[in-house]
Amino acid sequence: MLNTYLFFGLITAYLVGAVSAVILNKNDRLSAYVSFLSATLGAVFGIIFSVSILSGNSFASNLSGSSFLNIGFFVDKLSAFFILVISIVVFAVSVYSTGYVREYFGKKNIGYMGFLYNIFVLSMILVVTANNAVMFLIVWELMSIISYLLVVYEHENEDSRKAGFIYIVMTHIGTGFIILSFLILAGSGGSFNFETFRAAGSTMPPHLKDAAFLFALIGFGTKAGIVPLHIWLPYAHPAAPSNVSALMSGVMIKTAIYMLIRVSFDFLGAGVLWWGMLVLVIASVSALLGVMYALMEHDMKRLLAYHSVENIGIILIGIGVAMIFMSSGRPELAAFGLIAGLYHTMNHAVFKSLLFMGAGSIIHSTHTKNIEEYGGLIKKMPYTALFFLVGSISISALPPFNGFVSEWLTLQAQLLSVNLPDNITKIAVLFSGAGLALTGALAAACFVKAFGISFLALPRSAHAEHAKEAPVSMLAGMAILSMMCLALGVLPFYVVRILDSITTELLGTSIISRISFDFTIGTLSSFPAGISTTWIALLVFVFLPLPVVVYMLMSRTHVFKYETWGCGQPVSTSRNEYTATAFSKPIRMWLGSIYRPHREIQTTYSDSPFFKERVIFESGIEPVFERYLYRPVTWVVLAVSRIMRIMQTGYIQTYLLYILITLVIALIYVGSGG
Amino acid sequence: MSEIILGSKSVQLLIALILVSTFMILGSTRLYSCVRAFGIQSFLLACVAGIVAYSTGKNDLYIVAALTLVIKSAVIPYIFIYIIREIKVKREIELYVNISPSLIIGGVLVVISYYLIRSINIMSELSGFALSASMSLVSIGLFVMISRKKAIMQMLGILIMENGLFLGAISLTYGMPLLVELGIFFDVLIGVLIMGILIFRINKTFESIDTDMLKTLIG
Repeated sequence: MLNTYLFFGLITAYLVGAVSAVILNKNDRLSAYVSFLSATLGAVFGIIFSVSILSGNSFASNLSGSSFLNIGFFVDKLSAFFILVISIVVFAVSVYSTGYVREYFGKKNIGYMGFLYNIFVLSMILVVTANNAVMFLIVWELMSIISYLLVVYEHENEDSRKAGFIYIVMTHIGTGFIILSFLILAGSGGSFNFETFRAAGSTMPPHLKDAAFLFALIGFGTKAGIVPLHIWLPYAHPAAPSNVSALMSGVMIKTAIYMLIRVSFDFLGAGVLWWGMLVLVIASVSALLGVMYALMEHDMKRLLAYHSVENIGIILIGIGVAMIFMSSGRPELAAFGLIAGLYHTMNHAVFKSLLFMGAGSIIHSTHTKNIEEYGGLIKKMPYTALFFLVGSISISALPPFNGFVSEWLTLQAQLLSVNLPDNITKIAVLFSGAGLALTGALAAACFVKAFGISFLALPRSAHAEHAKEAPVSMLAGMAILSMMCLALGVLPFYVVRILDSITTELLGTSIISRISFDFTIGTLSSFPAGISTTWIALLVFVFLPLPVVVYMLMSRTHVFKYETWGCGQPVSTSRNEYTATAFSKPIRMWLGSIYRPHREIQTTYSDSPFFKERVIFESGIEPVFERYLYRPVTWVVLAVSRIMRIMQTGYIQTYLLYILITLVIALIYVGSGG
Repeated sequence: MSEIILGSKSVQLLIALILVSTFMILGSTRLYSCVRAFGIQSFLLACVAGIVAYSTGKNDLYIVAALTLVIKSAVIPYIFIYIIREIKVKREIELYVNISPSLIIGGVLVVISYYLIRSINIMSELSGFALSASMSLVSIGLFVMISRKKAIMQMLGILIMENGLFLGAISLTYGMPLLVELGIFFDVLIGVLIMGILIFRINKTFESIDTDMLKTLIG
């Protein structure tokens, strides 16, 4: 009963937030506070609700009983986990938003933003609780369209409109495949309710099962951003306001992960080896290419968007490995893989939202997204720098923060593949482990760049020089998630316990007694290995004062302070600093065959060839997917449209004539007994 | 039952006259006479409704007949004349298909309708006759929309189609429930008002209500 109140309470909170935002539209400040605080309240309800489900029984509620559009909710532990992820992130982002939207006061319609924001969050909650395919598609589409409207919130900006267009086209292609998948499932099950999908999964003929899985993978993969369907992410996430990017990148793409797990494990039983292999290959490629392209990006938010592609890859590696184990009849190993995937889902949601909020603060105060124009921000914005650093360490998978735990678990799951009977599979999974290791290293390199170039050294532009620290509410939002990063990192054994209850329900086997010890998490292999991030963290705090102690001891000696010797060059201007382009140059050279970099130098001379007047330097990498995959497809579509356009004369009369001819032919066909 | 036979004879006459009025619209080049012919058509339709009401004894249908009389044969033609006067449009309608081919095509459409209805082969003589006329009206209305340039004629065409549907409904089933009927009248009235406003807008934007101009809207 309590659960019912909580569930409808959270829905009401978001609806109230949405409506009051519009009603109070006249007053920007009031509208922002009421709508975002209402969202915060909804998030609190969401957290309590999901914790109550995770520690108790599942929740079901039906508002109508039709088999086609059954407005029903079903929250099992998997759904509850995703509600928890969404709610934690929404809680922090809503607090952050109250400060962030001040930038738009007087310029943009705040009520509109508050309305869309609340409905967007609500639609995500409904997506993970829907219990009927038709209802699911309605809320899924709602989520897509609302997020589209948020992407084009700054619609006076041409880039935003273009990004919005790419996003809405891609997301609808994805929805098309989802509908196909659901139609196959509904065709075998006889109704659109998810319970019948579950029943259909065990009785379906194999080829239909394959088709349903493939369509679901393409459909949900588009939303999740797997390579090569990731194309919209680097456009849409940067174009949206930063609080929305945090939600889109942090949690919206996770709803696709939720449905992938739901479809492949819950509905279809994950019984086929090549499904897992396919997911694993796509995931590894996404992880590697995502981080590689991120390294070449100098737009802060695009860089983060590419990291979303990478992290979705890492999550899917866990899930793919789980599917492989499942098909080999090792549910306990599958549970381990799934725990790794779900753990990373949670972690990525937390640190990616944190990073997007950090990027939002920087952009808020410097008004540029180009990291080449930052520099020295650690002095102007010390707290933002601290929180961004926490996010960077987490995403780079360094202990004791959360990214490390889940990537370690994922790697362990890959290593567990030595238990598989088939040698080819074994080797393939181990290779993907090597890929994951490389991904982690490149991610660390990328965040050394992102943090170092942005926050350290001297300001590289007037923008960075005049930067100011973000307001308290924004810092509070980031602080909450920074704490979460640390907590998820040093207390993994609690999280693993929760995740185990989910996999127990999904796969029917509990492994908690074998992987969770005192302050340590372990693996399932025959030589059990464990790691305790808690002790690592304590060790860090023990050694943290060490430099201070050393400094105290050394300070007795006499110290000369002088400028660095720079071969006679003046060192202390920002023009001499290491740039992001220079930092990523070695990697651009090593991986030249993937990036296909090009550069162009144009020199203009004044009267004499000895005096250069101007040098224009241009360098870039080839957008491989856009050029070789999307451009031909677009070209074909446009060519066909051009032919179809002959029909579109623009005369009303012609269109009416089409109708008349169709009508007469149809009537004659029917009339002649056709 | 004599009343119904009397009804059917006179109804047949009225339906024939309705067809004639439709051909008056097809055969005219002047906006006013088209509107007048439409008014006559609606008046005849009201008479049909009245006779059906009298012979079946359904009191609802008297209301429907009265509404037809007021809205379709008085208010709507008045709106038309008001629009024509206000936007000072040239009184001639411009055509894509000339008068004589228009009349021939109209005739062909009527023949097709009769042929098709005959092949359906389910009803008595009267309802078959009325249904054919109704389908003729629908197809001729559509043809009017296709073959005339002025936006006003598109509006008139759709009203002819509506009349056709009304005729079919009243002669086959002796009218729909009153509530539905009222809804349709309301729709038609509002539709005409909206289309009138649209024509004003088109006139304001393109300084003409020739639908030729609309083709500049395509990309």
